[in-house]
Amino acid sequence: MKRTKTWLGIFFTCLLTFVLAACNGNSGVVDNEGGDSGEKEGSGDSSEITLWAPFSGPDGPYMKEIVDGYNDSQDEYTVNFQIVPQTEYYKNVDLAINGESNMPDLLVMHGDQIFTYAEKDVLRSLNDLMGEEITEDEYHPNGIEGASVDGEIYGVPLDIHPLLFYWNKDMFKEAGLNPEQPPANREEFIEYAQALTDKDNNQYGYVVPTLWPQEFIFPTIVNQNGGELYKDGEVQFTSDAVVEALEFEKSLIEEYEVSPKDVQQDGEVTLFLQGKSGMHMNGPWMLEQWEESGINYGVAPVPQLGTEQEGVYANSHNFVIPKSGNEEKLDAITNFLSYVGDNALAWAESGQAPASKAVYESEEFQEVNDQSPQVAKQFDYVTFAPDVENWGQATSPLMEAVNEALLGQKDVKEALEEAQQKASQALEE
Amino acid sequence: MEEARLPMSKAKRDRRSKLTSFLFVLPYLAMFLAFLFFPLVYGIYISLNDYNLLSKEHPFIGFANYTRIFNPDSAMNALFFEGLWNTIKFVVFSVPLLVIIGLALALLLNSLPGRIRGLFRTIYFIPYAISVSVISIIFLWILDTNSGLLNNFLMSLGFDPVPWLTRQPFAWISLVGATVWWTLGFNMIIFINALNEVPEDLYEASSIDGASAWQKFIHITLPSIRPIMLFVVITSTIASFNVYGQPYLMTRGGPGDSTEVLLMGIVDLAFEQRELGMASAMALLMSLIMIGVSIVQFKISNRNQEGRKAR
Repeated sequence: MKRTKTWLGIFFTCLLTFVLAACNGNSGVVDNEGGDSGEKEGSGDSSEITLWAPFSGPDGPYMKEIVDGYNDSQDEYTVNFQIVPQTEYYKNVDLAINGESNMPDLLVMHGDQIFTYAEKDVLRSLNDLMGEEITEDEYHPNGIEGASVDGEIYGVPLDIHPLLFYWNKDMFKEAGLNPEQPPANREEFIEYAQALTDKDNNQYGYVVPTLWPQEFIFPTIVNQNGGELYKDGEVQFTSDAVVEALEFEKSLIEEYEVSPKDVQQDGEVTLFLQGKSGMHMNGPWMLEQWEESGINYGVAPVPQLGTEQEGVYANSHNFVIPKSGNEEKLDAITNFLSYVGDNALAWAESGQAPASKAVYESEEFQEVNDQSPQVAKQFDYVTFAPDVENWGQATSPLMEAVNEALLGQKDVKEALEEAQQKASQALEE
Repeated sequence: MEEARLPMSKAKRDRRSKLTSFLFVLPYLAMFLAFLFFPLVYGIYISLNDYNLLSKEHPFIGFANYTRIFNPDSAMNALFFEGLWNTIKFVVFSVPLLVIIGLALALLLNSLPGRIRGLFRTIYFIPYAISVSVISIIFLWILDTNSGLLNNFLMSLGFDPVPWLTRQPFAWISLVGATVWWTLGFNMIIFINALNEVPEDLYEASSIDGASAWQKFIHITLPSIRPIMLFVVITSTIASFNVYGQPYLMTRGGPGDSTEVLLMGIVDLAFEQRELGMASAMALLMSLIMIGVSIVQFKISNRNQEGRKAR
């Protein structure tokens, strides 16, 4: 008896240690090459470059496939690809910049981060590299624009990832709608949503999220209304286009009743996965989840929910070079980037759309999956986060206002006025 | 053998025993210096600089970060004090429950027969060993307004769905409830040990005097476990002050910013805005407040004890 107790004690201690250790397990750099990264970095060998990327999700293996393909295709250069977990990514980048050590030679950076890093003068301008192995015209102009600040190009675009529209084909059929025909504009969207809603069965046309991914949805509708969140050095949260966008989203819940009230974090995703939400908007990164759930869904560009124009909010992945990098490695870097530009089809398999014309204009790309071509269709009219320092601090009051208005806890105008005041204050400092 | 018996001078013996004691403390001291003291001093230094992680220069600005926090026109003022107020709300709601329910469970388990006691002790302790992300996901699924387990159950009984995470006061109730379920086991285990330390003869003597169960609890159990009670209250308060994961993962600080606790603001400032100087200043102020609260709790407890002795 005494013995078993001791063993039980030891067992639970081990269990506890294991669980606690597992909690802290996902920090630090994962070296995909298996070798020890410390020695490889900072080596004077100009034929070997280190690449960092935040692709710790299902997208990681596709990037690895591209890098492996490059390493196998020639003998001159080697790319050492390292995945840093997404939640730790910019923390690691910042610490490397701050300590001026362990910096990768090349790293993947989101478009909305480039402005901040460029302002702090830690990114190398790529203007002088354009024209030989890599040229601007090889990429979609919006991809280049998303990686530029004041005419200086800081990144070579890998992809552009705008908001996407998804719908449940089975629910469309049941509601008497054409399952191959997504709505094209606001009128159709509301009409379809009403046809799909069956409140008694807890079934809805379009579930309006109150938190993430409103960071993509709300700016999309504002842009479609012909408005901007930031213009002439000031936030524009009380402009007509912004107010109308929020009122429209709110009307889906309160006036048209095609969305349930009080949707919580990820509540709209749960309902879509359960087949209880007919339409849904989210980013291309959701592909894996939809596929695993087995729902019969379709994917299309976001319909024009605003009143003025086509438009969609997007972010992007770009390759950037730190300013402190070794200039002798530029040959290797441009050689690799030129290869990626021509061979990024594997990246499309993750559901993303590469910004390189050689890929998204190719026939193989049209057949790679259902989603990626729909992503690329929106390239011509994407809009990115404005080039403002501390934009994150300005958007969080806006997202609070969207949250409170959609939860019916604050008047639209009142909430936006408060956000306008908070955001201006945050940007002034 | 012979040598050991030689009488050592008193001074020498003292020095020797001090050295031995010091050696025992040394590993802890080294850890303390490396992982607590040094970061603390460095944190104080950073808080006196305009320290943006990406800037090449971090100019010394004295107490400017602190004066900005106390300047009502600054966005930092709102960020700090609104966050602090939300954190204090969480502390006030959760600490009494963590202490009272922890003690109640300990009493309940102690009155169970031996074998079952061990089983239930383990069961109640297991949640404490799970990480906050897992706890939050479990509760997100249970509490979902439109497709959660709890609301499905309530609706099948004919009630309206409750917006557990999107409306006050339910958001606080949910966060406190999840926290209590998660961390209760720790307090319970400590209370069980404390209860086992209470001398059995006190209970026997009081039984002979005809004391009721309630009287025994008030006059024997509570005074005997007072030091442990103080420990539990202080550790629970500190843990609740440090609340971060539950609101970050379950409500994202919503509805609005009503559950945006101070640590969420500080972490955002440090790692999203990269303003380490300001974030350090806020973190230091927060620890000063926590130290202050602990001292007050200590004083109140001591005064009560002295009052009792005088009586």
